[in-house]
Amino acid sequence: MKKKKVLSLLLATAMAATCLTACGGDDTTTESETEGTVDETTDETTDETTDETTDETTDETTDETSAADEEEITATIKVWSPSEDQSAEYGNWLGTMCDAFNEAHPNWNLTFEYGVCPEADAKTQVGQDPTAAADVYFYSNDHLPDLIAANAVAKLGGETESYVKETNSQAIVDSVTVDGSVYGVPFTTNTWFMYYDKSAFTEDEVKSLDAMLAKDKVSFPLNDSWYIASFYVANGCTLFGDGTDEAAGIDFGGDKGTAVTKYLVDMVANPNFVNDKDGSGLAGLRDGSVKAKFSGSWDYAAAEEALGDNLGITVLPSITIDGKECQMKSFAGSKAIGVNPNSQYPQVAVALAQFLGSPEAQQSHYELRGIVPCNTELLAQEEVQNDALVVAQNATFDTTSILQPFVSAMGNYWTPAENFGNSLLNGEVTADNAAEQTEAFNTSLNTSVVE
Amino acid sequence: MKKRETASAKTRRFISNTIVHVCLAILAVIWLFPIFWVILTSFRGEKGSYVSTFFPKTYTLDNYKRLFTDTSILNFPQMFMNTLIIACFCAVISSFFVLSVSYCMSRLHFKMRKPFMNLAMILGLFPGFMSMVAVYYILKAVGLSEGAMIRVALILVYTGGTGVGFYIAKGFFDTIPKALDEAAFLDGATKFQVFTKVTIPLSKPIIVYTILTSFMAPWLDFIFAKVICRANAKYYTVSIGLWRMLEKEYIDNWYTCFAAGAVCVSIPIAILFICMQNCYVEGMAGAVKG
Repeated sequence: MKKKKVLSLLLATAMAATCLTACGGDDTTTESETEGTVDETTDETTDETTDETTDETTDETTDETSAADEEEITATIKVWSPSEDQSAEYGNWLGTMCDAFNEAHPNWNLTFEYGVCPEADAKTQVGQDPTAAADVYFYSNDHLPDLIAANAVAKLGGETESYVKETNSQAIVDSVTVDGSVYGVPFTTNTWFMYYDKSAFTEDEVKSLDAMLAKDKVSFPLNDSWYIASFYVANGCTLFGDGTDEAAGIDFGGDKGTAVTKYLVDMVANPNFVNDKDGSGLAGLRDGSVKAKFSGSWDYAAAEEALGDNLGITVLPSITIDGKECQMKSFAGSKAIGVNPNSQYPQVAVALAQFLGSPEAQQSHYELRGIVPCNTELLAQEEVQNDALVVAQNATFDTTSILQPFVSAMGNYWTPAENFGNSLLNGEVTADNAAEQTEAFNTSLNTSVVE
Repeated sequence: MKKRETASAKTRRFISNTIVHVCLAILAVIWLFPIFWVILTSFRGEKGSYVSTFFPKTYTLDNYKRLFTDTSILNFPQMFMNTLIIACFCAVISSFFVLSVSYCMSRLHFKMRKPFMNLAMILGLFPGFMSMVAVYYILKAVGLSEGAMIRVALILVYTGGTGVGFYIAKGFFDTIPKALDEAAFLDGATKFQVFTKVTIPLSKPIIVYTILTSFMAPWLDFIFAKVICRANAKYYTVSIGLWRMLEKEYIDNWYTCFAAGAVCVSIPIAILFICMQNCYVEGMAGAVKG
């Protein structure tokens, strides 16, 4: 008797559970439907307001849309950003901007709920449960395939799309575009370049890595996969064709790859080469044992503290392979503001994303936190032009970088590249076996670990 | 003749003792080395994550000061309090679970006892984080994934499954003579009374052990805290905070604070241990006469 009761109870719970999951499924579909309709309306308004892209008109058009669609919106909007954007120490950029956004939209009565999610964490944190994630969040552009797969990032249509396209350079637009659709409002670039000691190298010398290595200590993170590709790309090796052709695969093999491997073997043997690992490069800049280091804007404060007025920042140098001058090229990407397709108020979320990526917001971001802007108009300003970091980062982005491919096969790249860097450092790869090692390396780059 | 023998035995013992002690000393040094290094790093004056010397060039208390005052980006004091609160609840609840289950398994005989013990053993072989996403969605369905309920969710996660880890405590209860229980039953005690009035007072060492391990769980766990807290920085536990400090944006600035944080985490655990240490010595001396 008792057993039967227990059994029936279990069955009942199981049924209740299935009901719940079914409801969950329904919810998401209705939400994406609403999203679709809003997209259409934004499209219509853009047709009406052709070509006007200044921010004021942006706000007006969105206001009109909201006025026509839903008179008043009272909503709680969840925004996730890195904690610095919310900290009083850095002027509470996000809070200030969101309040300004609320004021710019008198029809909307918005309360904001802030959460902490660094751009580099978006994939895991937003992807874990997009339905309970923020309406608007910040992400690194290489997270796009995962975010799209998780249905965690919305296509931006109409007016926001054209805003992105018109206020950014083509490379930056490409970095947030997948299959012709724009998925976010970019607000900064993300790449690495060179910090050097001006008292050790002249401006001419920093143009060639070989000249630098001949003169003084240079530190480079060779066993970091984000950095090592720069040498191969320099000599014409490609990743996925132009970076988007997944079928093309990674081409680090052949004679051109072998030549680079030989160059790297020589470089490792050079007593002036110091591998940068666990912060040793920065420590070297501090105590003067290293005169140049490759890194990104996140190390700027530390590098400036270490070198003071002697700090030089510049684009990547070139290397000489087989007597030929080759330009090193770093991986570059962008950081963007994404909108959650599961958002209950997509029109508000899209407008907020655009507002947070507006020139005013980027300017304030730059002033408060030193975030390098990417808006083309802002970059032309004198104040920004005088900032060595901004100039170097943008020059790197424009001239000595390739867009970091974010096709999903790129996932196979990272571990073999790191291992190859380690093999170079511990002497497993030599000039004699360079050809076969490079070939093996190239094979592993194109082999999926999960088959 | 006799004297010489003892002398040679003495030397032999001396030699073997020396070898044993030297080996132990070497092992102890190897084992304590990383801890010693973390403590040194936490007092290091120079910034950065990379050092060329083992001993810091300058010593300072600033790392600790900064850890507890610079709360704008990583609010360590708050994380510390969150963890402490969760840990206190865990210590009480899981200890109760573990001891109750152990007592049942040791003293009560029912049909499902053996199958249940096997089942618990097999379940224990699976890593807990295997179910983390499922656990998250269940917590979300019950409404425990937002706001202050996150603390409740974490307490549930850390305590819910601990009952399965009854093996050690059960083994200990098995060594307590049944005669004691029977004597208590004759005096009219219920099973619960036997548990609270006879078994518990006799098993202080294992209780201390249980409380300590369950108190430590929230300090050590990272995966569940990360999955459940997500973007709610207000409810982060120390392990998430310490992990954040090692991200590329923070590592140069926060590395020494990270070491200080690691040292701080050990303090509450050490205090709890010292408080409960004297319980370890009290055994069952004089429980059964004759």
